[in-house]
Amino acid sequence: MSMDFEPVIGLEIHVQLNCETKMFCSCPNRPGDDPNRNTCPICLWMPGNLPLFSREALEKATLACLALHCEIQKESAFDQKVYYYPDLPKGYQLSQFHKPLARNGWLEIIGENGAPNRIRIQKIHMEEDVARLVHEYEGRHPVSLVDFNRAGVPLVEIVTEPDLRSPSDAMEFLRLLRMQLRYSGSSDCSMEQGTMRVDANVSIRPRGTDVFHTKVEVKNMNSIRNVGDAIAYEISRQADCVKAGEPVVLHTRLWDPDKRVTSPMRAKFEGPCVPDPSVPLIVIEDEWLETMKSRLPEMPAHREERFVNAYGLSRDEAVLMSSDRELSEYFDSVVRFDVSPRLAAQWISAQLLPLFKEHDENPADSPVTPERLAGLLAMIEREEINANSAREVLKKLRDGRSSAQQIVDECGYRQVSESAELDALVDRVLEENPSAVENFHKGAAKAMGFLMGRAMQASGGKANPRLLKEIMTKKLG
Amino acid sequence: MQSEVFHHFDPSASSGENGGPLYGRRAAVQSGICVRGWPTEAGSRALKGFKAIEDASVVERMRRAGAALVGNTRTSELGFGLYGDCSGKALAEGLADIVLMTDTLGEARVAAALAGLCGFKPSWGRISRFGLIGLVPSMESCGMMAGNPGDIRVGFEAIEGIDDRDPSMPGSNVPPRVNESGTPALPPSAGIVTQCLETLDSVERVAFSRGLSRLRLLGIPVREVKFEDFDLFRTIHQVIGSVEASSSCGKYDGVRFGHRASGGGNWNEMYLRSRSESFSPLLKTFLFQGAWFQFENYEAFEKACRIRARLADESRKLFSGVDVLVFPARRAANHAASAQTLDRIYDAFSLTLLSNVTGQPSISLPGFVTAGEEDLGLQIVGPLFGDERILSISEWLFRKGEEAR
Repeated sequence: MSMDFEPVIGLEIHVQLNCETKMFCSCPNRPGDDPNRNTCPICLWMPGNLPLFSREALEKATLACLALHCEIQKESAFDQKVYYYPDLPKGYQLSQFHKPLARNGWLEIIGENGAPNRIRIQKIHMEEDVARLVHEYEGRHPVSLVDFNRAGVPLVEIVTEPDLRSPSDAMEFLRLLRMQLRYSGSSDCSMEQGTMRVDANVSIRPRGTDVFHTKVEVKNMNSIRNVGDAIAYEISRQADCVKAGEPVVLHTRLWDPDKRVTSPMRAKFEGPCVPDPSVPLIVIEDEWLETMKSRLPEMPAHREERFVNAYGLSRDEAVLMSSDRELSEYFDSVVRFDVSPRLAAQWISAQLLPLFKEHDENPADSPVTPERLAGLLAMIEREEINANSAREVLKKLRDGRSSAQQIVDECGYRQVSESAELDALVDRVLEENPSAVENFHKGAAKAMGFLMGRAMQASGGKANPRLLKEIMTKKLG
Repeated sequence: MQSEVFHHFDPSASSGENGGPLYGRRAAVQSGICVRGWPTEAGSRALKGFKAIEDASVVERMRRAGAALVGNTRTSELGFGLYGDCSGKALAEGLADIVLMTDTLGEARVAAALAGLCGFKPSWGRISRFGLIGLVPSMESCGMMAGNPGDIRVGFEAIEGIDDRDPSMPGSNVPPRVNESGTPALPPSAGIVTQCLETLDSVERVAFSRGLSRLRLLGIPVREVKFEDFDLFRTIHQVIGSVEASSSCGKYDGVRFGHRASGGGNWNEMYLRSRSESFSPLLKTFLFQGAWFQFENYEAFEKACRIRARLADESRKLFSGVDVLVFPARRAANHAASAQTLDRIYDAFSLTLLSNVTGQPSISLPGFVTAGEEDLGLQIVGPLFGDERILSISEWLFRKGEEAR
C-alpha cells in the first residue's frame, strides 16, 4: 500500500440468530439437516399463507442490538426487498429497510497504535435468510436444486459507518463484535459455519482528505483473517489503479481464498423495498425493553474490569478470562469456592483450556466442574501437592468421578513436606552424585538444577519443591 | 366434478356441524379460497394443478357453523375484476345459498348488483386472510354474496374474528362494536358525496335519485356531504394495488407449483417463460405498472400511501355527520363482467373503490337504485368496524323494501 493513500472501510455483517425456529414459521432453525426437511407451507410460500413473526427472533435480535450499544427503535417494520431468484420462494425477501430495529450503535476497538477507537454502527435490521442453491449435473445436464431448509432462518444485518481505516481495524472490530454477540447469547457467530457473513466496502483517498471515493464491495470471506487479507488486497489493488491513472469503478468483487485475490462478480442487482402489508408493525414497549436489557449478562468490558479490580488479575489474565462468556462464568464459579483468583486464572489458561480443546468440550459441560477444579487448586495452595502431581490429578479429574482429594489420597500424590524424610533423601542424592556436587562448588550453577531434578525424581515427584531446595541449598552451602 | 360454474362441484356435500347457524345452507367459495384437497387455481394459469394443502380459516369456520361446502366457483384471474367470474351464477341458478368471494375492487358488491343479489365487503381486518390467494393484501377482504342481508349477517358472524394464523388483523385494537345488531338507531341518516354525484351519467342519475326517494320514503334523512378528493380513490387504488399485486405475484415462478414452461436453457429463461405464459395481458399490465412504481418511481408510490392515509382519515370524519354513506354500486354503461383492460375495469368499479382504499365495510342491496330494467344496486358504506351496524340497517331496509313491493 502506498503511503499516500488512506483506506476507508465499512462492513456489512449478516449474523444468523440461534433461535429455535425460523423467523416467520415454526420450522426448526437447522439449515444443515437433510435438504428440505425443515419446511412448511409458510416458508415454501405456498399460496394463501401468511408470515407469523417469531417472538424469539425479535428477542434475540434485540439482545444483539443491545450488545452493540444500539438504540432500539420505538417502531420498526418489515419491507419486501424485491428480486427474482429461485432461492427466494416469493419474489421478495422480508427485510427491514425503511424502519430498522435499531440505530446508532458502537463498539470501541483498540487500534494498532494502542489507542481506543470508537467504531459507529449505523443500523441493525432483521431479515429472513434465503434458500440454498446447489448446482449439480444429472449425467451431462446441469441441474439446479433448491434446499429450503435455510429459507426463513432469522438474521440480523449490522451496517457500520465507514469508520475503519485498516485491515487490522476491521479484524479487531469483527473479533469484538463476535465476542459481544456470543456473550448476548443471540448467535454463534461462526464465519466458518456461515452463521456470520461479512461484506466489506473499501475505498481509498489521499491521506489527510475527508471526502469519500468510489467504493468496491468485497464478499465471500470465510474467516476473520480472510476479511483482513481481502481488504488489504483490495486496498493495494485500488492504489495501483489510481497510480496507473485508471478510475475505480463501483462494483462487487469476490475473494478467492485459494488464490488470495479478489475478482469482479456479476453486477449486483439492487431491488426496491416496499412496505409489507402482512407482518404487523413492531412497537417496542419500555417495559419489554427493560426485560430484554435485564437478560443481557455482564458484558466483557465490565467483566474484565471486575476481574482486575476485584480479583487482582493482571490485564492479560483478565482479558483472557473474560473473552468468552462460558469461560468467564466458569472462572467466576471456581473463584467462588474461595481459591486464589490468579492461581485459578493461571490453571485455567495453561492447563484447562488445552484440555477442553483436546476433548472438544465447553467449560459448562466439562466433567471438571468448577467445584472439582477448586478442590485441586485448594490443595496446591495448601502445598499438599506440587505442580507436577497436580497436572496428573487434573487428567484424572477429567476421566473419573473422584474428587481431587480422593485422587491424591488413592494415588499417593500427597506432597512430601517432612523435613526428616527430605533430609535423608537429599543426603542420598548428594552421596550418589559426587561429581555434580564438585561442579557446584566450582561455581557451575547448573549443577544445582541437576541435583534438584535427581532429588525430585527420587521422591517420585512428590517432594515439596520449596522445602527441597531449602534443604539442598543448606547442605551444599 | 366440474361444470360451467364450478371448478370443483360436489352437490351431495353434507352439512357441517348440526345445530350451527348455517346448518342446512349450501355454501360455495371462489376458487381462490383454499379448501383442502380441492383444485385451487384462482382462475390463474400460474396456479394450474395446485391443490390446497389446508382449509382457509373462513372455510373452516363456515363448516363449523354448519354449512355444506358444495364447491368452488370459477373466478376471474386471481379474483381481479369479474371477467369469467361465476359466483353470481352459482346463486342465481340455485346451486348455492351463499358464496364467499374476494372483494378487491368491489367485486362482491358489483357482482351482486349485476345479479340482483346482496354483496358485502367487511371491514379490512375483520376477516382472516389465511388461506385466501390474494392479490392486493391491504385492499381486499373476503366478502360474500347471498339473496338477502340476513344470510350475509349469519355468514359474517360465522367467519369474522381474530385468527392466530393472520397476524395482520388488528386484534385488540378493534374498538367495541359500533352498534350491536338488532339495536341500531333506525332509520339511520345517510350522506351522499357531492363529488360522486358529479360523475354519474343520466341513467345513473335517474336510478340513484329514485333510490334516494325510496330511502326518504322510509324516513331516512339524506344529505349531501363534500369529499373534495373523491376522484383520487381510483389513482390511489391503482398505484398501491398494482405495487402490492406485483409483490404478491412474485411467488408464481413455476419452481414449487403451478405452470412451468418447457424449454428454457437456464433458470432465468424458465422464470421468464413461465411467468409470461402464466398471466393474461390484463394482469401483465397491472403487474408491470406495479413493478414500474417499485423500480422506477418509488416516490409516487410513497406519495400514494400518504394520500391514502389522508383519504381514510377524511372518509372517517364524514361519519361524524351521518350514519352511513350511500352510492350506486355499479355503473350503468360500463359492464364489469366484460371489462378486460385496466381502464375499463377501473371505470366499471369506480363507485366501489372507496371502501377498498379506506378499509371500511360496504354492502350492496338490490331493488332500490333502479332505472327501468337496470338495477345498479344501493351501496351502503359504514365506518371502519361498523360491520354489524350496516348489516342491521340492510336487514331493516331489505324488509321495508319487500313490504313496499
